[in-house]
Amino acid sequence: MSGQPKIALRGVSKVFDVRGEGEPFTAIHGVDLDVREGEFLTLVGPSGCGKSTLLDLIAGLTTATAGEILLDGAPITGPGLDRGIVFQQYALFPWRTALANIEFGLEAKGVPRRERAEAARRYLDLVGLNGFGGRYPHELSGGMRQRVAIARSLAFDPDVLLMDEPFAALDAQTRESLQEELLRIWEQTNKTIVFITHGIDEAVYLGRRVAVMTSRPGRVKEIVTVDFASREGDLRAGPRFGEYRHHIWTLLRDEVAAAQADERKVVGSHG
Amino acid sequence: MADRSRGGTVAVPERPGAYPVRERPDKGPGVRVRRAVPAAVRAVSGVARKSAAIVLLLAVWEVLPRIGVVDPVFLTPFSEVVVAWGGLVAGGELLDHVQASLLRSLAGFGLAIAGAIPLGLLIGWYRPVADFLGPVLELFRNTAALALLPVFVLILGLGETSKIAIILYACAWPILLNTIAGVRGVDPLLVKSARSMGLTPLRLFQKVILPAAVPTVFTGIRLAGAYSILVLVAAEMVGAKAGLGYLINYAQFNFRIPDMYAGILTISVLGLLFNLLLLRLERHFSTWRTT
Repeated sequence: MSGQPKIALRGVSKVFDVRGEGEPFTAIHGVDLDVREGEFLTLVGPSGCGKSTLLDLIAGLTTATAGEILLDGAPITGPGLDRGIVFQQYALFPWRTALANIEFGLEAKGVPRRERAEAARRYLDLVGLNGFGGRYPHELSGGMRQRVAIARSLAFDPDVLLMDEPFAALDAQTRESLQEELLRIWEQTNKTIVFITHGIDEAVYLGRRVAVMTSRPGRVKEIVTVDFASREGDLRAGPRFGEYRHHIWTLLRDEVAAAQADERKVVGSHG
Repeated sequence: MADRSRGGTVAVPERPGAYPVRERPDKGPGVRVRRAVPAAVRAVSGVARKSAAIVLLLAVWEVLPRIGVVDPVFLTPFSEVVVAWGGLVAGGELLDHVQASLLRSLAGFGLAIAGAIPLGLLIGWYRPVADFLGPVLELFRNTAALALLPVFVLILGLGETSKIAIILYACAWPILLNTIAGVRGVDPLLVKSARSMGLTPLRLFQKVILPAAVPTVFTGIRLAGAYSILVLVAAEMVGAKAGLGYLINYAQFNFRIPDMYAGILTISVLGLLFNLLLLRLERHFSTWRTT
């Protein structure tokens, strides 16, 4: 696990100009973070701590105000097919069938039609949606839509998968089964995954390391390495799981309190 | 008199006959599948329910002039209008008028589609174009098309050009405004998602903006279809030698009142059919829309 990190953030800050307000808005400030090749890293933090901003920066959808973001040692200059994003709201193209959605990134990559169809079918199978390829997104359940979205991001074979609270809109049972499947897919594909969540359980269950963020402006407060002797059985019910959970909860408690105080202050000054 | 008025109601079913066509697209396809046999029964009762108002209207139209509430000279009973309509069809006169009208309508409508969609895409996509043209658009969209008819006649003369131009003008607005709204209304998350996959702005436009805007654009096209018929009649009342608007105007002038009503009826049916056709097309192209 030594050598060059897959993704490296060095003193990254992002400041937004807020229209109609004199003071600029600092979303994240001085973030340092290394993500290793093939690692599953989860990122937890109080709401509004700039988690999504961090993901947008790694995706190349926005540029940092200060600091640098490296992918394989080279600065990120924009979006690219070496990174795939999975959004909480699926972001499937409603006029395309499940298969055509999965093909989208391959079209962008310039893959020939026949290969595209083949790959799309393979990834549809991988996410367990065999037989649903001809359905439009509105004909699929939330869980199925998110499976299609994951397949779409995997199909163009990126090295890194960026996931922005992908299971937050799903019911508890669907979420658990998708978490399990995601781990299976991760083990099968060896992708580097950065997974944002506000759920501590989810972070501990999925992540091999959990990066805990502070309240706004967001920084990485601590990185917790999660290591279970065995992942057999009901992992969530074991004592180790509880310890990790409690540790992260304690780290977050002060931050959540700070975030809420901050929110009250903002509301107070406007009211 | 009693059996004459019955003759009127006998003619009625030919109009409600057109209604099942309209009824189907109103309900989603899923509704039909659920229960097959009661669906047939429901369809019949649905037709009856939906056509009741039309039947009533035609009955009133037939009865009022006959019992003398309205002067039958000015409001010809419906059955006599049907007879007059048959005469116009048999004489070949109606076909000529319908042809002349349709040609103008479709020319103006077609040109409006060809011009307004690209312009709308441009305005919707490029902020600077929108900022530049915005105030002009705002001014013109609030000016009734027919208020400009005299201007069109002055500049383009009394011939076909001015008639097609005014139809084009009236049709262009709904298409233009809906196209702009369609492009602007694309879910930003879809744009973000496509951008994250490294699409160039041109490919983004082609693969995301365009398909996402299609249903909204089609709503504009359907509105324009209705306008093309509405404005047509007014345009044909000024200096035309053929067309349904001319027929209506001319018949009224020459006191051929039943012919006038026959012309009005033809216009209504034409507008209805055109709208149905466009509605079909719209649904065909927006099957994915979740509403």
